[in-house]
Amino acid sequence: MASRSRKDTKLSSDPAQIKATFEKLRDPAIAEYLAWRVPLRPRIDVAIDTSSLASGAIATQAAIERIASERNAAVDLGRNHGYGMQWLQPLVTITWPDGTSVIYGPVTADDAAVIVDEATGRESAASALAIGVLAGERVGVSSIRDHPFFSEEPAERRLTARIGLTDPELIEHYIGSGGWAAFARVLYREMQPAGVRQELISGSHGGRGGGGFPAGVKWNFLAGAPDPERYMICNADEGDPGAWVNRVVMEGDPHLLIEGVTLGGFATSAQRGFIYIREEYPLAVERVEQAIRQAEEAGLLGDNILGSDFSFQLEVVKGAGSYVCGEETGLISSIQGQRGQPRIRPPFPAAVGVFMKPSNVSNVESCAHVPLVMQHGHEWYREYGTEAMVGTRLYSFSGDIPYTGFMELPFGAPMKELLDSCGGITHGAELKTIHSGGPLGSLVPASALPTLILENSSFAPYDAIMGSGGIVWVSDRTHLVIINEFLSAFVEEESCGRCTTCHGGNQRMTEIFRRIMDGRGRREDAFNLKLIDDVLQQSNCVHGQFSPKPMRNLLQYFREDFDTLALERRDPTLTIPAMTTFQVANPADLKIEDAAAICPTGAFRGREGFRTIDDAACIRCGACAEVAPGAIVREAKQLAPAPVA
Amino acid sequence: MPLETEARAELRALVADLEPNDGKLMGALHRMQHRYGYISREALEVIAEQLDMFPAHVYGAASFYDEYRLEAPPETTIRWCSGPACRLENANGIRDAVLATLDLKELGERTDDGRIEMVNGQCNGTCEQAPMMWIEWPMERRRRAVGKLTAVSAIRMARAIRDGESFTEGHETVF
Repeated sequence: MASRSRKDTKLSSDPAQIKATFEKLRDPAIAEYLAWRVPLRPRIDVAIDTSSLASGAIATQAAIERIASERNAAVDLGRNHGYGMQWLQPLVTITWPDGTSVIYGPVTADDAAVIVDEATGRESAASALAIGVLAGERVGVSSIRDHPFFSEEPAERRLTARIGLTDPELIEHYIGSGGWAAFARVLYREMQPAGVRQELISGSHGGRGGGGFPAGVKWNFLAGAPDPERYMICNADEGDPGAWVNRVVMEGDPHLLIEGVTLGGFATSAQRGFIYIREEYPLAVERVEQAIRQAEEAGLLGDNILGSDFSFQLEVVKGAGSYVCGEETGLISSIQGQRGQPRIRPPFPAAVGVFMKPSNVSNVESCAHVPLVMQHGHEWYREYGTEAMVGTRLYSFSGDIPYTGFMELPFGAPMKELLDSCGGITHGAELKTIHSGGPLGSLVPASALPTLILENSSFAPYDAIMGSGGIVWVSDRTHLVIINEFLSAFVEEESCGRCTTCHGGNQRMTEIFRRIMDGRGRREDAFNLKLIDDVLQQSNCVHGQFSPKPMRNLLQYFREDFDTLALERRDPTLTIPAMTTFQVANPADLKIEDAAAICPTGAFRGREGFRTIDDAACIRCGACAEVAPGAIVREAKQLAPAPVA
Repeated sequence: MPLETEARAELRALVADLEPNDGKLMGALHRMQHRYGYISREALEVIAEQLDMFPAHVYGAASFYDEYRLEAPPETTIRWCSGPACRLENANGIRDAVLATLDLKELGERTDDGRIEMVNGQCNGTCEQAPMMWIEWPMERRRRAVGKLTAVSAIRMARAIRDGESFTEGHETVF
């Protein structure tokens, strides 16, 4: 890698020339994008993203293609990214020659014919599938902005403004819709790196990784490093189960991220950048790598960008399934080709980072907001959010709700209303806890809901963190310790192994949870868990330090549930195997034979009409009760309570 | 220097453009795994030579990451999603049912005939499909996402895979 040292001073190239070079790139892109937005004939775009694929978007696409070609229909086919209503995937958007776009879903392969009908002019052929108008107007369909799922979103999307309205795989759509303009302007207006950083500081642009530390200030650290060889790194190792907001940026608008990281490179005078993407996001890897190639071909990455003095090389490093690489020093180790083990800080990456050179590690969304701040200015950026946390951010919602998906929300959005947007709690159950911040995060009690808002300081009094965008609504239908065991086993498995406090502590915590779930809770368990908490906090990185948080929340807010399970060895939710049994309630039910046939352990005994379930062979998977509901029931199993000392 | 076999030359060609000390180890390991389904001992040695590292260092790094395979993959991998949304929908029961169907004791094991393995999978944010699994054919570089499982549908699927029947559940997704 040949790296040139650059000073934090002026550019030698001609601004007018840079501007002209960019306009030569931009003008045909605008024409191409307009032709796509306002097409000559109707176009059907199938959302292609990780979520739509899991719902069968490929089959939908193939069916639409087949029917359109069979009928020789006057339609074109295209692609976009899903708008956010993931429970309605596969999503399909039809755009008519007047520029009106309507989103439909769920569109399965069987619906292909009505979609083609609708596109080619048979009004209301697919009206049952219409979700909302994305652009323009259509009789009988309301704006997608009025959809109840998005009621807490601002009037206009910002970070996700292009989602649904571009093909994320085409750089022309990005440039044609205003992309790269912010960066080009920084170059041709001869803005200095310090000016970019100042704009971010003026906008109080906080990092989106979880901590909320001001991005501009963090970039100042790197800009001030003595060594001119330095690196801008984007952390796309989004590993918290239940959080997928970075995935949306990378799959939905990858060019925005690339422009943001490049601006980061400029603002810190870095010559080279890395985007470290988790292995579990193959489509994000594909799209970001493709976007980098397209930007290189357009002269927006590489040597002398747009003919300026600024050069920036950017590449993707793909992770390999290690959660702890999301910690910045673990990530740096991984890029260097080492085990992804975090190291002790200081020195901080701004002093000693990748290849021992000054580096900055910033979250995907922290970077992706930067072109917006630079394009619209810090005052525009400050229009949303709270005093403490400015702007908007992506959130993903899942769990015991009917409406799973993502939203772009201003900081400070009220959680109670957000639960309504998500359709409330399913199965007629009650909200038990809000799981935020992933395995190193929190279990916020439901009692917090009325006053809880999306801001770090609102979560803090509950010994909780808001985290990096993943919110999981958990009902009282499942015993909370099932979640605690999952989180605990996760942090144990993902510990890098350096600190005994962490790998040993999390191992012990997991063992205790598993023993309790096995009906062998002990009086001293709560005490020992608190002891483990103290020990874990002595770990070197946040993986160990924060790993006891969900357990602490459990003991603080759900002590009764814990004690009932650990001491009385009872599970009122009937979801913990050792404390429940499956019983044949009605041996005469005709479905019992099907139930016996599905049992994976052959636990049914006796002859037809007289079946019983062998409790020792039963693994409580519940398959039999699914086949013969009512005839087979799950009941509480009486265990002796924990002995007193 | 040992004699250059054809196989070794092929391995070498796969990583010939990568430079030492340039952040290329993760990518080199991915390339080998993508091409051969796993990273053989010989592949580790070739990478070490190319990137000017000790083989022990390359092995140490490779073995740290869950997703690098150091032995040949089975025909079929069942990747069980362990995420929170799935846990709220009886994912544990489904996991145990599939393990029992395949006569496996725990995640990470393979069936006696070596054809099928079941492993722990990480949430990728398709939680509207919870509870889910991914069925993968590593050598064909193919994966299907199978969502909205029940214990019954998971057992039927596992039986079909076990009995070598054709498999059409779920949806094709990126591998």
